[in-house]
Amino acid sequence: MTFAPSHEPNRVIASLARDQVTLDLKTVELCFLAGLYLRADKAALASFEEDVLVDMFEQVCDVVEPGAENPRKRATHSIQRLREQRMLARVDGAGIVRAGDYALTTLAAAIVQYFLADEALTRESLTLLTGTLGAQLAQVLSAAKKVADAEAWRSEVSAPLRVTVSELVSGIERRQRGLDAQQEEVQAEIAELLQSDWFSAVDRCQLLLDTMTSTLDELNAILLRDTHLFVAFLLEIQGLATAAENRDAEETVQRVIEHVDRIAAWGRARQQAWSEYYQYVHRYLRDVVRLDPDRALSQRLRDQTAAWPASPYHLVVAHAPSIRLLRPPEARVERPPVARPRTEREADPAWVEREDVHADLEALVARAIDEGAATLAEVSARVLPELPASQHYASAGRIADAVGRLARVHGEHERPWTPVLARLEVEDWTVDGSDPA
Amino acid sequence: MSATTFHTLEEAVDDEHYPEVDLALRRGRHIGRDDGTMYEYLVDAQALLEKLYRRFGCELIQQSDGYFYLLPSGDRLGRRHLSAGEMLVGQTLALLYLDPTTLQYGGIVVREVVLQRLSALLGADVLVRTLEPRRRSKYDERVAAELVRTKVSDALRHLADLGFVDLLDEVRLRLRPALMRFAEPVRGLGDRSAALERLVRAGEVVVDDGEHRGEEDAGTEEVSP
Repeated sequence: MTFAPSHEPNRVIASLARDQVTLDLKTVELCFLAGLYLRADKAALASFEEDVLVDMFEQVCDVVEPGAENPRKRATHSIQRLREQRMLARVDGAGIVRAGDYALTTLAAAIVQYFLADEALTRESLTLLTGTLGAQLAQVLSAAKKVADAEAWRSEVSAPLRVTVSELVSGIERRQRGLDAQQEEVQAEIAELLQSDWFSAVDRCQLLLDTMTSTLDELNAILLRDTHLFVAFLLEIQGLATAAENRDAEETVQRVIEHVDRIAAWGRARQQAWSEYYQYVHRYLRDVVRLDPDRALSQRLRDQTAAWPASPYHLVVAHAPSIRLLRPPEARVERPPVARPRTEREADPAWVEREDVHADLEALVARAIDEGAATLAEVSARVLPELPASQHYASAGRIADAVGRLARVHGEHERPWTPVLARLEVEDWTVDGSDPA
Repeated sequence: MSATTFHTLEEAVDDEHYPEVDLALRRGRHIGRDDGTMYEYLVDAQALLEKLYRRFGCELIQQSDGYFYLLPSGDRLGRRHLSAGEMLVGQTLALLYLDPTTLQYGGIVVREVVLQRLSALLGADVLVRTLEPRRRSKYDERVAAELVRTKVSDALRHLADLGFVDLLDEVRLRLRPALMRFAEPVRGLGDRSAALERLVRAGEVVVDDGEHRGEEDAGTEEVSP
């Protein structure tokens, strides 16, 4: 299947995640859908009346869950659930005026088709499909040689390539997926046969292997031959589109070529993978099953492993050290000693301004107390402006210390926080004049 | 290639495969059919190389399961015995190799299955004490689980170097026929002890008489002079 440009994987995934799309189908609902699909197919019905839906649900319920209570109520619930999940659509548009008509959506049809279809690729189906595809491409090529205007290119080349050819190629791809599933079934069957019958299953396993191998060989031969032919047709059509400067047709052909290449790559990859699997199983049958017909080795090895910690032994293996590669010789590099130019680093002492912050601070505090500052906050407010702003915070503590030593202070049990200047707060004391001591 | 590809040792050594094959064998690698042209080269040059390696005190062994390896019998070429972790993981992988369920996936298993099988065979307690014999005290369950995973991971890496498995990615590994070496003591119908004695005499295995315990991580028995 080819994605339209708007169906880029990232966008599609994001959109599905955003809408929180989920599917939840119970067995009875799946059977109900299958029943509807088959009835529509048999009677060529485009839609179902509500009564027919309920009737079908009851029939399915009788088979799938005999004895279930109140099937009519369950039918109503199931129809609602299927509508919510966009598998059933009401198509009459009559609203509540009368009971509705319902149709299966393409989603429901695809799900049922998946379970109904037994579409594995066989020699016959592949030959038929590739034959039809070849004929179709020859027809498109012939049309491409004759068309003159853009409209003709669209209707006689691009459209058949998009619809008919793409459908045929998708048909092959769908059957390839069917064959993949069949291969997995064969692999599981071989494992089950050996698990249950061991030595007696050898011939049946060999038959299964050989059958699948010859099927793949035949299919791959057809794919190799025919895809080569398809690509030749498509390249010729693309050449004509390029010459006619028809970008739309060119791109359409390119997408189909990529699709065909994918089909051919599938054939090669599956044959390679199956070949490896075939060899592995073949060796297993020869070296393990045939040499141990009673299947005793596994049990003995299991016992040995379980008992190994009590009576250990060790396999011996060769262990030659890697060849030691000597470094290439190099002349010794004389590193110069670390040095710096000689200079007189001792400087003569110089006179600087006296600096005694603590003594100054104490004098300032004493002056503030003498001038009648009644609280620690007031003392701080008078002293701090005398000091550089960068020292205000550190000095606040020193001021409290000096006040404590120079005056009698009294603090309440819960000391209030009092602002000092613009940026500080202190836990306040009452200062009661200079301490005579 | 036919068995008459090489007429002289000079021709065999002159072949483009020789250096790679020789180095791999000397490092203990088991070369099997999965190794493609390296295996084919060994099949063709087997008779000539057997004589060559015998002069180094080694036997070039070919097993019916379809793999070659070098077995040092003297002290001219280094050798080592596999550690407890490598032995336990190797035997578990051999069991998985024999299991038809593995066959369904073409011999590919995931690490989690190996750990599950190993744990089911031995039990967590025995497993921890075998992989870490120095750990005497009671262990924390989370720490023990981490230890087992680390040891198993190390063992898988070493077994891959030796050609017993191919590590496909962080999770999956492909089992190779050389794993059947781990089943050698129980392959015959006779007594396992007698089979083990025969293998010890042939220099294929060493029996742990307590001498090797506690030095499992090293796994090196002796190296070339």
